Amino acid sequence: MDSKPFVDAPGTGRPPLPVKIVIAGGFGVGKTTAVSQISEIPVLTTEAPITEIAADIDRTGQVPSKTTTTVALDFGCITIDEEVKLYLFGTPGQDRFGFMWRDLTEGALGGLVIVDSRRLDDGYPAVDYFEKTGLPFVVAVNLFDGFLSHNLEDVRWALAVSDDIPIVTFDARDRGSVRDALLAVLQRSLARVS
Amino acid sequence: MPTDPPPSWEPLGPRPYVAGHRGVDVPTPAAASDPQVSGVRPYLITGGRARPIDSTLHVETQVLTTWDGRAALDTLTYEHRDIVALCVRPSAVAEVAAHLRLHLGVARVLVADLVATGYLVIRQPEVGAHQQVQIIERVIRGLKAIR
Repeated sequence: MDSKPFVDAPGTGRPPLPVKIVIAGGFGVGKTTAVSQISEIPVLTTEAPITEIAADIDRTGQVPSKTTTTVALDFGCITIDEEVKLYLFGTPGQDRFGFMWRDLTEGALGGLVIVDSRRLDDGYPAVDYFEKTGLPFVVAVNLFDGFLSHNLEDVRWALAVSDDIPIVTFDARDRGSVRDALLAVLQRSLARVS
Repeated sequence: MPTDPPPSWEPLGPRPYVAGHRGVDVPTPAAASDPQVSGVRPYLITGGRARPIDSTLHVETQVLTTWDGRAALDTLTYEHRDIVALCVRPSAVAEVAAHLRLHLGVARVLVADLVATGYLVIRQPEVGAHQQVQIIERVIRGLKAIR
């Protein structure tokens, strides 16, 4: 055993203060891609890859080049400063995973609902849940190959979100774009409390 | 912060008392189709308990090994040892579950056990922190620094 000082032992330091943002959306919509672009650790998954039966239900066939997906949580983290650590939890936006949402959203700074403009209805359960629980959130339309199938006002209408909920476009493969979407969420969080 | 990886936290593989149960390995259907799913039932790892001693552990709760935990590392076995070795660096409960390929509920039970024995300390999310302007602004500053 080495004798290197154990930097965070009790008395010499504390674990960081965890905060979190929840990222919700349907399968194949870009949640994991978004988290992986900005996380300082490789994206981790807590539970099992989805079974073939569920994959069929989840209609991954409609989404080009999505071959694997997982149930439960994908997550990553960002060290904000010497004390605060931000966790990003990506969760499938389906009603049948709703049992996880209360745990996840409790104490969250806010939520990012990622939608694919070709499959807007997948974003509906998450929007509905966040509205009901009062979690500050933003809808982010992932621009697959820079292509937007509908204009943003149509997206707002289809998701039935009120005018004060920001709807932004972003590219889940671009780090700066993911950062800006998260900043939009935090501006909402700030607006709620100040 | 040291940049070296923490002591080995790789899962040690099937528990001998499980593998030796029938003398042969009988994988469950889930284990057979997916190498990432442990064939060991969660209640075996937790000694039959389904709920942690401290039921308030959140997925993002930070877990850190204490001096006592570090000193006891060589006396610990299996998942307990893996967790104490992993958390030499602060990790979230969800990270413990993911790295050790444990169900989230199992990770909660085991972390709570190790906190009770003094081998780990935790830091819970602060109640109301998500509604504190100062915390939100710190996170905004931290994110803006990302290029």
